[in-house]
Amino acid sequence: MLAAIAIGLWAGVVTVGTMNGMVDQRMNYLIENEITHLQIHHPEYRTERRPTDYIPNHPDILNFLSSDERVKAFAPRTLSDGMLQTPVKTAGVQIRGVDTETERTTTTFHENMTEGDWLDADMRNPVLLGENLARDHNMRIGNRIVLTFEDTSGDLTSAAFNVAGLFRSASTDYDQRTVFVRNNDLNDLLSEEPVYHEIAVMLHDIETAEAVSAELNERFGDIEALTWTQISPELSTIVELGGIMLFIVTGIIMLALAFGILNTMLMALFERMNEIAMLISIGMSRIRVFMMIVLESVILTVTGAAGGLLLAWLSIASLSERGVNFEMFAEGIAELGWDHIVYPVLSPNEYLAILTLVITIALLSSVWPAIKATRIRTS
Amino acid sequence: MENTIIQTFDLCKIYNPDAVPVHALREVNISVAEGEFTSIVGPSGSGKTTLLNMIGGLDKPTSGRVAIDGKNITGMKDSELIDFRLEHIGFVFQHYNLIPVFTALENVAFIMLLQKRTKKEMDERAKSLLEAVGLGERMDARPAKLSGGQQQRVAVARALASQPRFILADEPTANLDGDSAMNLLDIMEKMNREQNITFIFSTHDQRVIDRARRVITMVDGGIYSDE
Repeated sequence: MLAAIAIGLWAGVVTVGTMNGMVDQRMNYLIENEITHLQIHHPEYRTERRPTDYIPNHPDILNFLSSDERVKAFAPRTLSDGMLQTPVKTAGVQIRGVDTETERTTTTFHENMTEGDWLDADMRNPVLLGENLARDHNMRIGNRIVLTFEDTSGDLTSAAFNVAGLFRSASTDYDQRTVFVRNNDLNDLLSEEPVYHEIAVMLHDIETAEAVSAELNERFGDIEALTWTQISPELSTIVELGGIMLFIVTGIIMLALAFGILNTMLMALFERMNEIAMLISIGMSRIRVFMMIVLESVILTVTGAAGGLLLAWLSIASLSERGVNFEMFAEGIAELGWDHIVYPVLSPNEYLAILTLVITIALLSSVWPAIKATRIRTS
Repeated sequence: MENTIIQTFDLCKIYNPDAVPVHALREVNISVAEGEFTSIVGPSGSGKTTLLNMIGGLDKPTSGRVAIDGKNITGMKDSELIDFRLEHIGFVFQHYNLIPVFTALENVAFIMLLQKRTKKEMDERAKSLLEAVGLGERMDARPAKLSGGQQQRVAVARALASQPRFILADEPTANLDGDSAMNLLDIMEKMNREQNITFIFSTHDQRVIDRARRVITMVDGGIYSDE
């Protein structure tokens, strides 16, 4: 019974930790790589995506962000939907003009580089392509591509860019439709003055996102500041779904545990009928018999659970360093934008919650055997 | 009768009254005085164990009543009976029924724990009782390491530990070999003689019957003879 509880709980907790890790990783990856905690746009940019929908008063906003202590870093971005042309073929892409320095301090996207240099390469009009996009277009570092897009006057403009590097993010779809350039280079082609369509903001504490965005919206009326949950509802849904899945998995583990305890205690009771009848005969009150059975169940379960949780803690501690490699599903997982190496994670509060649940389950599932024990006849 | 501690009045027990009634006891009237060494004998199914259960408050009669020290225990609630048994009655069972995970000492002390005695008192009394039944050297042994005779002696010590008014022993020698049975009887007889402890046995073991000073014979749930 002890071993069954320990192994069952270990497997369950590691599974929960892995699922937790997957969700956390996806959330952290998207937030740290691109979305950030909150973003500022022109109120119509996200629906219309017009080059003219840039943030009108960006110097004031940038000043505000620089002086707000809740803000860790921010990066203005110039965005445009355009056409990529290579000698092989053309493709629709989203052109992301970033500031090399602020982007590097705000997001971790530069860590996705697999070949070449980040945009601070000493090269005229450098561009970064996703590995898959480069492969499809037969492009290598140093090759030249042409980007065509609409400027703020509504005219089409084209320019040649040199492939400075290749990247691979967790999402093959994202890699296929996104190119990175310097926002200065893009601004030179897009407008007479620097324009920004997006300001990405990282905060010291994710929990303050709503307050900061509300303040930005109130202070600067002609912009739209959105938190990560508003920018990426699907990510928010993933987090919620993850929570529901954790609840279901934990529920299944607890149900199995409850039946295990119930079965074991009923069997133990069956074997100890004479002993319990003797105890009642010699003067042990039925309430004491009840408490004895409940206490035995809890001690048994908590001992097993302590072993299982210790084992799970050791496993998660080890796997959170090395990761669980789902390499055989890597391609499919990447299509969905997930990383195939998962680092399980479980907070001390979650361990405590599981232990509390286990004790509660032990208490509840021992009630029936305990009631049966009090009904044992002495004659 | 002077110093009467147990009295039964028209005690009847009918099992299965609605289907095929089995009359386990038929108007049994007995009295047991303090210091008696009594055997209740009779063939299987004669009602010995049922009578013992009634006297011990382990079962309720269909009619009639049992009085211990003049107190009617038949009308007591289950919880009251449990407390009453703890303070007034000692039990020795045919199959010893010791707690397997406890040592001999712990088995004897356990009943005093239920009585909320102090640790010192429990230890001292349990040790002296185990010495009295000749198990002074085996106090730390668990039941599995003791012979049947030794286990039954621990059970006698346990029954005595709560300082009961009397001890009910249901076939105490049934599972013992000759020497062990004689040894156990010697101990119980000695305690009866020296400490005036009342023993009531249900038995069909001739060795017990031979030692008893009073023999109540039961047949078909009734008293056949009382000598």
